Order: sequence, then structure tokens, then C-alpha cells
Amino acid sequence: MVIDPIVARLLLAVAVAMLMLGAVTAWTSTNFIKRVAGLLVASLGALCSAAALSAPASLLVVGIAVAFAQLVIGVALGVRLQEAYGGAEAAEFDAADDANEPAEPKA
Amino acid sequence: MIGAYLDLARLHAPLLTLLVPLCGAALAFLLPGRLAWGVGVVAAFATAFLGVDAVARALLEAAPLTGTIEGVLLYADGIAIFAAALVAVAMAFLMLGAGAFVRDFPAPIAGLAIALVLCAGAGWIGAVFARDLLGVFAAIEFAWLASVGVLALSSDRGALNGASRMFVAGGMSSALFLLGAALVHRGVGGTDLATLPSVHIDAPGLAAAGIGLVLLSVALKAGIAPLNFWIGAAYGRAGRLAVLVLGAIGASGALCVLVRLASFALPAPAIGEGVSITLATLGAVSVVIGSVQAVGARNVLRLAAYAGAAQAGVALLCAALGSPAGFAAALVQMFAMLVATLALLGGVTFGAGGAEKFDALDGLGRRAPLASAAITAAAISLMGAPLTIGFLGRWRLVEAESAPAGGGRRGR
Repeated sequence: MVIDPIVARLLLAVAVAMLMLGAVTAWTSTNFIKRVAGLLVASLGALCSAAALSAPASLLVVGIAVAFAQLVIGVALGVRLQEAYGGAEAAEFDAADDANEPAEPKA
Repeated sequence: MIGAYLDLARLHAPLLTLLVPLCGAALAFLLPGRLAWGVGVVAAFATAFLGVDAVARALLEAAPLTGTIEGVLLYADGIAIFAAALVAVAMAFLMLGAGAFVRDFPAPIAGLAIALVLCAGAGWIGAVFARDLLGVFAAIEFAWLASVGVLALSSDRGALNGASRMFVAGGMSSALFLLGAALVHRGVGGTDLATLPSVHIDAPGLAAAGIGLVLLSVALKAGIAPLNFWIGAAYGRAGRLAVLVLGAIGASGALCVLVRLASFALPAPAIGEGVSITLATLGAVSVVIGSVQAVGARNVLRLAAYAGAAQAGVALLCAALGSPAGFAAALVQMFAMLVATLALLGGVTFGAGGAEKFDALDGLGRRAPLASAAITAAAISLMGAPLTIGFLGRWRLVEAESAPAGGGRRGR
């Protein structure tokens, strides 16, 4: 099936936008579960971008496998964080950890 | 008979350096703590032997093992052979010391921790031997997720916080790598690294953007400043075994992959100039920001992480030259970084009992003279003082920079 170049570019633009949106969510969100969701969106965006760029099927398959592995490990980490800290907010984790350690200046 | 088997093993050394730690990991996963550690030590030292033997042959023999190995899976070149040996030796030393840390883990998961360390080592070795970007991507993600696992297994809950930061950084990095690999495929017509220096590039802009994304992705995992936003939390809150895995295997492995990718991209006429500028900029920024961060650190483990970013920046500056002398200087710098990291982190985790605050090091010379000497030697080497391996790395950079051009950029 031949995709119209304009449609392909549109698909690529949407996929890259998805990747950026997911990455920004993962970067800025304070909730770990939202971060994992952001990563999932970013991975889907990267996969769609790769598909729009006619990447080989092997790259897409490996990308899907990696995204799935990340999702599983992310959920497992989320569960363990919930058990250890009683929440999923990064600010809570930092506050609990920083109680034992002074803050460092940011460079 | 034994000689024939040895020759066969040497012929397939790259594949064996991958398979031995993976088989060791599978076995260690099934065994209880101490036994798993024993298996880990044997597997790690066998891998190190194979790696060092390959380096010795590359240096001494007229026709070393280079070129495509095992069909289209692996590609051995000078940088890959040296880098794999570096990671394997680091893994062997780490595994030897890990015997002291097995008790840090609850009995049922000690074997899992040893298995994950071996998986991390095998992943980075696979990434430096991979022939195409697909193999590099798969191997890096395998190593990274194994490292996150080791960190998450630490008994301190702060390590979980560090693991979450590391996990998020790795996820963003993998998305960028995937997009970059697809762009390279579109621009070059394939993802084969070995043909990149000589292939005709149809769309240089796409290829350059793709390689740039791939390099940025690996730089994030190598902890190159300012992409090292995850490193302070991960190092500062990691358990004793995890911090050694991150510092000795993870940072070194990622830097080796970065330099090897650069060695394929720099000789490509259409994109080499852009890659060189990107690497030089990233290296210079990493030296400055890493050094400033290290000065502000109040925790020895974080100091090691930030100083490592500065050292990695020097290695990138060496690689950005794109000449054989530049890559040789980068290899020396990577070796210096690994030795200093092992000595510093090893001294703190063994000698100081994991006490990472500076004031906990007071009187360490009396309590643990060997650990104290290791930390001091590492610090002096990180400074680049004469008669240290760190000084040699800088010296080789100056030599490479001042060497006559002689035929332009040559990465291989």
C-alpha cells in the first residue's frame, strides 16, 4: 500500500507531537504513575514515527517489546513506591529522603 | 584438543563475551545467594578473560579479530574489542567485591541481584559489539532495565526513588533512540553501522538529525551533563552494589557505546562535521557543568557521579576529533575514568562501609588504610595530576589535538 506523501508527513508530525507530549508529561509530572503513562505515550509516538518513516519491521517489533518491558517495570516500580512511601508523588519521595540528607546546590 | 577448543572460543570471542554472562545470569537466578555469587564470579572472570585475550590479540597479532562475526549480528572493530574488555573487567572486579554485598539483599532475591548485574554487563557488551542500530537499541535497553532492577532491589527505600528517576530518564531516552534510528534508516537507507562511513547518504539532513538523536539518547544514559538530571538521585540513594553497577558498568558501557557510534558516524562525509560539532559541544558543556556539580556535591557517591560526567566530557572531546589519535585518546580516557570510578566507589563502599558523607571519611586512613589510599589515588587521577592514568588521558588529548591533520577525519 502506497501512502500519500502528504498523509505520511501529517502522520509523522502527529506522531512526533505525541512523542514530545509524552516526554514533557514524563519530565514535568510529579506523580509517578502519570510519568509512566507519559513514557508510554512517548513510546507510542516514537513507534508511530518510526512506522511513518517506513522503518523496518524488526525495529518496530523491538520497539514494541521495549515499550512493553518498560510498562511492566514501571508498574512494578509504582507498586513498590506506593508500598514504601504510601503514595506516588515525587515530592513526597524527595521530602521523605531529604529528611535524612541536606539538599545540594543545583548547577 | 584443548588448543583447538581455545582457538574456536577465540574465533567466536565476541559472541561468547555475550553468552557467558547471560548463561551465568540464568544459573545465578536459580541458585541461593552465596552459590549465585560464586557462579557470577566465574562467569564474570571468564568474560573478562575472553575480552582481555581479544585485546591482546588485537594489539599483538598482525591479523586481529575484526569484521563481521556471527553472520550479521555482531561487528568487531578496535573500539568494540577494547570497550567490551573494559566492561568485562569492570564486571569481574565488581562481581568479586559483590560477595561482601550479598547479605545486603534478602535471601530470596540475592541470586536475582547477581543475575541482574551479569545481565547489565552482557547488555553493554552486546551494545558495543552490535552491528546495527537495532542491536544497539535492544542491548542498551536490556542493560538499562537490568540496572534499574539492581537499583530497585536495594534495601533502602531511597534507592526506589533513584530507580524511578533512572527509569523515567531511560524511557525518554529509548523513545528518542527509536525515532533517531528510524530517521537514520530513512536518510541512509539502512541501520547498518559498519557501512555508514562509506554508504551514499540520500538525505543528509534526516541522517544527521537521526544520528544526533541517537547520540543524545546514549549521552543521557551515560550521565553526560546537562542530561544527567537523574544521576544525583540514583547514585546518592543507591545501595552499595547498585552504585558500583551504575558507576563501573553503566556509565563506562554507555560512554563506550557513544564513542563507538561516533567512530562510525564521524567518517561519513555528509554528516561527520555535524556529529563532530555536537560531540565537542556536549563534551565541553559536560566538563564544565559536571565539574561545577562535583564542587557542590555533599555526598561522595554523587561527587563520583558528577566527576564522572566531567571525565566523560573529556572522552567526548577526544572522540570529536575524529582521528585515530583522537579515538585512542578517548579509549585511554575511558580507561582512566573506569579505574578512578572503581577506586573511588570501591573505597567508599568497602572501606567506609557505604558511609557516603564527607565527614564519615574522617580518620579513614587509620581505620581502613587501603580504602583511604584507593580514594586518594582516584581523586588525584580525576584531577589529572602527573604520573596518573588521568593525566595520560589528558596528555593524549593534547597530542591528538596538536597532531598534523594527515588525510582528514578517519574514525576506523
